[in-house]
Amino acid sequence: MGIKPSSKIKKGKEAILVTAFAYLFITILVLLIIFPLMHVVSKAFSEEWAISSGSVGIFPVGFQFDAMNSIIGSQRFLVAFGNSVLITVLGTICTLVVTAFTAFPLSLRNLPHMKKILLFFVFTMYFSGGIIPTYLLYNAYGILDTRIVLIVPGLINVFHLLIIKNFYEDIPESIIESAKVDGASNLTIFLRFIVPLSKPVYATIVVFTSVMIWNNYFGPMMYVNSPELQTLPLYLRDMISKATDIQAKIAMMQEVSEESITAAAIVAATVPILCVYPFMQRYFVKGMTIGSTKG
Amino acid sequence: MRKSSALRNKDIRQAEKAVNRRLIKKNLDLYLFLIPGILFIIVFRYMPMYGLTTSFQEYNIFSGILESPWVGFKNFNMLFTSRNFYSVLRNTLFISFGKILFTFPLSIFIAILINEIGRTFLKKTYQTVLYLPHFLSWVIVSGLVTAACSPSTGIINQVIVGLGGQPISFLMDNQWFRTVVIASEAWKEVGYSAIVFIAALTGINPELYEAAKVDGAGKLRQIIHITLPGMLSIILLMFILNLGNVLNANTEEILLMYNPTVYKSGDVLGTFIYRTGVSQMNYSYATAIGLFESLVGLLLVLTGNFTSKRTTGRSIW
Repeated sequence: MGIKPSSKIKKGKEAILVTAFAYLFITILVLLIIFPLMHVVSKAFSEEWAISSGSVGIFPVGFQFDAMNSIIGSQRFLVAFGNSVLITVLGTICTLVVTAFTAFPLSLRNLPHMKKILLFFVFTMYFSGGIIPTYLLYNAYGILDTRIVLIVPGLINVFHLLIIKNFYEDIPESIIESAKVDGASNLTIFLRFIVPLSKPVYATIVVFTSVMIWNNYFGPMMYVNSPELQTLPLYLRDMISKATDIQAKIAMMQEVSEESITAAAIVAATVPILCVYPFMQRYFVKGMTIGSTKG
Repeated sequence: MRKSSALRNKDIRQAEKAVNRRLIKKNLDLYLFLIPGILFIIVFRYMPMYGLTTSFQEYNIFSGILESPWVGFKNFNMLFTSRNFYSVLRNTLFISFGKILFTFPLSIFIAILINEIGRTFLKKTYQTVLYLPHFLSWVIVSGLVTAACSPSTGIINQVIVGLGGQPISFLMDNQWFRTVVIASEAWKEVGYSAIVFIAALTGINPELYEAAKVDGAGKLRQIIHITLPGMLSIILLMFILNLGNVLNANTEEILLMYNPTVYKSGDVLGTFIYRTGVSQMNYSYATAIGLFESLVGLLLVLTGNFTSKRTTGRSIW
């Protein structure tokens, strides 16, 4: 009789401790994520003397907008930004169309040979030619240093193909069957019934693909050279590795620190992502869940 | 008896074939749907695999893959006898296993802790912040890391100096560079990789917890006996996927953060291939390293998948 209440108290205490620890740990983690971001924002807007004396932490010291002004006004930045927007929009649309189409037959497992064809796709997830053969091949195709190489090679991502295929498989077969009875062709069934039902998974793929293209550094760095084809990550890389944007430098006043210019470039490149990020969350969480729970 | 059953099998197979043929004929348009995708995959994925034959050649830009002279295993001999290769391989494995030992358990831990926070506004906000860094490019993150690690103005060194220490040039120091690489990867990806584990947690039957409570099990015991076993199969699956990537230890990240001073500790297979192939234009040798990387990766995934199928009945395809 005496044991029960005491064990109840103990249980309550332990639960509270666990919860408190959870709050504490996650809060620290969240701060660790926010601080470096605030640090770079502060550097972008702090005055020169404050930065060089090493006193800029997570809040700006003094205030100047010249660094940001010189970045936003720089021709090179604007070209890179425009290019990134263009390849992201075009690339995402093309990728979605091709992937959505290709996934449809692959989702119909009772069709002969589909499993083999699927394996043909999946194999490329786990084995690849690697960067050098790919580079030599694009050179042979004659697509190096063109916009094509920034868009086309990413058209099908097999992981995304599998996510869409899994989604199609979950659509009740009765819908397809009844449409077939009505004499609809496969194309009609796909466009009329499958596509409208699949909007959520398409949204997920749009999020994944656009972020991937927008952030891609390695591809453009390998395959593109001309100044007019530079993308935002390439521009940003130049700024960070101190081969600073000369135009921005000329535009800047004497009293702006070089570190501010770099920081301003980082901030300017991050803001677009921050703007769309809140709208994306629902979709990528869903996508990760579908993608991982079913193969 | 045997003969007749064999005959029957043959009949069945023939009937099946006929049905298949009809199915294909009836759904020919569906097979046509696949043509663009298949063509794409051949041109952009399988052709580079054919390009791997370069590793058995002395590649010459003017003769191309088809006409460059064959040299057998020369490039591989060179590779496996080069001391540089083993140092690069060691760095790669060190960084990869650092990631698996640190980031991977941490994301499971985060998932469990997030689950302990009630369904509040705060929880949603926290999740939003935790997932955010994944969507910043490596270029941006490398910029953040450079800014935060700067010996004169970076926030980390401000703290170190504030505590009475000497500033450290993390990105120029062979003792620190790999730690910075692993930590930045964790900073960027740990929250996002927790998503799948959080999803797995919501799939656990709440009645199990109720039953455990009735039995008088505390929070910790519930976590050990219900939460963790409930996540086991997804943990294993993710582990396999990670294992398959052991040899491509974040080429892009390191390419953006390293410099000649830290080649000794930070040069990994991917960056080594990049410098050998693209900067030194030693195409065949670089391809040989790439082939090694791809083959080992494939082997690891297949082995892991086989193990997972055997032990948990779950596999990646």
